[in-house]
Amino acid sequence: MVWEIGLPLRFPVNLSEHPTDSELAEQCKRGNLRAYERLYDLHSARMKSLAFHLVGNRADAEDTVQEAFLKVYRAVGSFAGASSLSTWIFRILINCCYDSLRKQKRLAEKPASRELPSDPKLPLKVGLQRALEKLNERQRLVFLMFEVEGLKHSEIAAILEVPEGTSRSWLFEAKRELKRMLTESST
Amino acid sequence: MKFECGDLERALAVSELMPEAREHLKQCANCRREYRLWNEISSTGRQLHEDWDSPALWPNIRKMLEAEPKPKSAFVWWGEWKIWAVAAVVLIGVGLLLLPRLQQAVTTPEAKIAHTTGGAQDQDFLTEQALADVQRTEAAYRRSIDKLSQLAQPKLADRGSAVAANYKEKLLLLDSAIADTRSNLDHNRFNVRLQTELADLYREKQQTLQEILTRDQKN
Repeated sequence: MVWEIGLPLRFPVNLSEHPTDSELAEQCKRGNLRAYERLYDLHSARMKSLAFHLVGNRADAEDTVQEAFLKVYRAVGSFAGASSLSTWIFRILINCCYDSLRKQKRLAEKPASRELPSDPKLPLKVGLQRALEKLNERQRLVFLMFEVEGLKHSEIAAILEVPEGTSRSWLFEAKRELKRMLTESST
Repeated sequence: MKFECGDLERALAVSELMPEAREHLKQCANCRREYRLWNEISSTGRQLHEDWDSPALWPNIRKMLEAEPKPKSAFVWWGEWKIWAVAAVVLIGVGLLLLPRLQQAVTTPEAKIAHTTGGAQDQDFLTEQALADVQRTEAAYRRSIDKLSQLAQPKLADRGSAVAANYKEKLLLLDSAIADTRSNLDHNRFNVRLQTELADLYREKQQTLQEILTRDQKN
């Protein structure tokens, strides 16, 4: 067993192959960087994509993910385990995205230009991307998390700290609004 | 219920209405188009997931985390909490051990006087209130002793008794000492030592008178 030195007591740093959420949380609390690497492997793809849609470009999205990991590291001691670790990380990421957007607004009068989807030949994809930007925050967030990143309503509800029914309701409103915007733009 | 075009949105929200909606979709091209768009929003939404390689991202995060001080985990906090708890228990234990000694110190005569007179520096001086109490007690005590003296007079009047003569002499000495002490106290009313001496003289006189009165009974 490998031991890490530098804490008041010694802790094992080896992680099981498929650590549970609580095992990961425990190892993160002990400052085990391999646990953070595991978190990165599990969630970074969705984190980057969600951040991209919220902040508008890849560079800022990566900065935001980096900032979120730093905040997780600093605050993990206060993580009580009331929600799952992944839920908590996404909540922190969303807050980092809003911080980043506020910073963008402070630096420039108009927000940074958004990168269009990588395949602009698809008209619906472009239309949907543009329509998404016009949605209100809560509808956009739920649509991005459910339809784009594939999170469950139970997870979204935990991240946004709302009842699961509210998450479903916001998704329905989002899709109804998107449909309206897409129908209007095509006529 | 007859399903109409306006009911489609409601059916999309309430899944129980979908069987009726599907029947309607078979006949209504407009609603079919709406329904197709609704589903395309979801399928196109999935295509919006952005995926790109970020080979430098994890190394950057790792470097940043390594530069940070170790997170203060709940375990460490628990360790600190335990230390504080043990310290508190030790402190309370020491306090409980010292409490009887402290109480004893407070109840010693010197401490009582200090407490009554309002501090060590005033130890030889009575406060006005305490002096009034002492004077009231002394007056009552003197009256009682005067009564005892009256009772003892017949015994002391026995001229042939040597014992009675001795007692008379002792009482005269005590009366003289009482008068002197009282005279000194008139000049220094707050002096505790003189007040104590006076009380002792009165006690002595009282005991002497009691001896005179009870001597014959014993014999």
